[in-house]
Amino acid sequence: MLFSLIAKQMKMLIRNKQPLIILLVMPIVLITILSNALGSIMDGGEEAAIQANLLIVDNSSWAQEEKAIKLFLEQEGVTGPSMDALLTQFKSSDPIELLNSTILASDEMKKYIEVDYKKKVDVKIARQDENIDGILNIPADFRVSYIKSAYFNDTNFPELSLYLNQDNEIRASIIESVLTDWKRGYTQSAALLAADLSPQEIMNNVVSVEKVEQVLEANERKIPASIYYTVGMLVMFALYIPSFLAGFALQEVQWKVYDRILLAGVSPVLYTLSIFFTGTLVAFIQQVIMLSFGMFVLGIEWISIQGMFLIIVSYSVFIGALSALMTTLQFRTKTEGIANLFNGLFITVFSFLGGSFFNIRDISETLGKIGDFTPNGATMSAILSIQKGQDLSVIWPFMLAIYVLVIICVFLSIVFFPRRGVAE
Amino acid sequence: MLQAINLSKKFKTKEVVREINMELSAGESVGLLGPNGAGKSTTISMLSSLVQPTSGDVLWNEKSIAKKPDPLRKAMGVVPQEIALYPELSARENLAFFGRIYGLKGELLETRITEVLKKIGLSERQKDIVKTFSGGMKRRLNIGAALLHRPSILIMDEPTVGIDPQSRAYILETVKQFVEEGMTLLYTSHYMEEVEMLCDKIYIMDQGKIIAHGTKEELKALVSENQTIQLKANILTVNFEKSLGEQFPKATIHIEEEILTISMSKSEEPLATIFALAAANSVVITSAIVKVPSLEDVFLHLTGKALRD
Repeated sequence: MLFSLIAKQMKMLIRNKQPLIILLVMPIVLITILSNALGSIMDGGEEAAIQANLLIVDNSSWAQEEKAIKLFLEQEGVTGPSMDALLTQFKSSDPIELLNSTILASDEMKKYIEVDYKKKVDVKIARQDENIDGILNIPADFRVSYIKSAYFNDTNFPELSLYLNQDNEIRASIIESVLTDWKRGYTQSAALLAADLSPQEIMNNVVSVEKVEQVLEANERKIPASIYYTVGMLVMFALYIPSFLAGFALQEVQWKVYDRILLAGVSPVLYTLSIFFTGTLVAFIQQVIMLSFGMFVLGIEWISIQGMFLIIVSYSVFIGALSALMTTLQFRTKTEGIANLFNGLFITVFSFLGGSFFNIRDISETLGKIGDFTPNGATMSAILSIQKGQDLSVIWPFMLAIYVLVIICVFLSIVFFPRRGVAE
Repeated sequence: MLQAINLSKKFKTKEVVREINMELSAGESVGLLGPNGAGKSTTISMLSSLVQPTSGDVLWNEKSIAKKPDPLRKAMGVVPQEIALYPELSARENLAFFGRIYGLKGELLETRITEVLKKIGLSERQKDIVKTFSGGMKRRLNIGAALLHRPSILIMDEPTVGIDPQSRAYILETVKQFVEEGMTLLYTSHYMEEVEMLCDKIYIMDQGKIIAHGTKEELKALVSENQTIQLKANILTVNFEKSLGEQFPKATIHIEEEILTISMSKSEEPLATIFALAAANSVVITSAIVKVPSLEDVFLHLTGKALRD
């Protein structure tokens, strides 16, 4: 029965042009306009992408170094089967192979670092390319030097050159973090090999990805206008859902359809619950559409999907609770006054305080703090915090504010529900 | 089956229904006749458990519905005066929704919908959106939505308001069929001819009170000692009406739409006097009809006003 009520409310919403225009078309148009119009001001020329471009100039190769390695091993008295065994062991723990095939090749790492491989490139010229965030230059005798130091206590460690483009600190830090880890791993390889461990066993890609994520936490991602206004409009336009649903409910009372529903044995509590679930569902769908629009049309890369899911579900629950409260109040007053007041005044004030139009903290920190107590403001702050790359724990105070508001809405719905019936 | 005992309803200080007693037995068709504002819809709302009475009680199979309305609700179909449908949904979708909230599903629901659509003559328009329907079609669907769960008692509140004569005739024929099939019916209207056509027993209501009840014959007997004379004239002056009142002090005189209606005892022979008074007041009578009593006359006799006032 609950499903029938929800399905009917969804049909009513879908078949009315006005809700569709206000809930979907208007925010999409505004996101597009505001992102473009205010993009240059807000973004300050900084790009939001967190994928770093790494150029690996590999002057070495196993084929060209094999002869030199064998010669060195013979000089050290390693011949025959001992030499073959050492070469096999080395091949399996070749640091360059490990870097290319394991660390940088993982799907997780590919999200953060895009690698371009070249041979014999003029590094000076390559460094002038603004699109390259880091250049790793591997010398021609890297493997020979590595074997000497790792297996024969040669103190001359193989020298690598890493050039970082400091124009984008986050991306440079990502590259530096991964390569420093890798470098630390293979410089310790002698000790590891002595303990019968291969560098792969501790230098796996998961560790490297975690390092990247730590870098992202330490260096907040810049929020471009496209992200800011997608979130701003998303939280603002979800607030229109309760007045539409409460309006439909009032129409049902006026058309006497509500009487028919009651006569069929549907309790007022179940009816209000159906409004709550419809509001939650519609808000969730609306937010998913907005976020997908941001992703597929504006090219936004949403990070921390689990955190985002938690936030939009929580906000959707609030919208559901507000829909139930507004329906209750309209049933009690039997007019659309409450919805009109909410649409005309509250949404504007909440959106202003919550920062949907611009970052309210730019003009007043106090107003910004007040805005964090509005449901839309709390949701917006939570989403933007995790989009900056902050830890998921930063959202809990905002979630607390949202759920306190949910409880208030549910409590008021129970208190104000007209127990003597709506018909009287 | 369904009984109203001393049923009253007060909205703030206004008492809209006053100590009503009614009874509907199984298979009976009962009419509730009264002018607009008489309290018919409030009475129906109380009888159908939607509105709590201020005092009195409603019994369904001798049990009060005040605390347990569900048995009555399950057995009853209510057709409200308003078009209680979703205009954005199709006829079939509307019926499917109302069927589902009554717990019907699957094949049974589909069968019932098809059955009801056929009964109300909307099978061919079942996929059309209700807002594209004519007033008559909406009224028919409004009735159909109350039939899906096969109620044993059907309560209809002015189901023919605001529709064309053709649709009205169709609806009345349909309701007549329900009655012939043995469905218990409570039918409210201010069209006495509808109530006269459909109902065995009639309650006449005015200003929140039942002022008379009984079969058609019993009610007409109340005025069988009377005669009704309807006059049409070139002009109906106040002086003429006053002169008639003075001449026939026991008569009820009423003017509506250029027709003067006089109800008086059959013992009098008034035509010669009426024509003389007309001439004295420079009124030229163009037609004069002496009528047998109708429910309209009963209402006029009981309240001193026409049913549609």
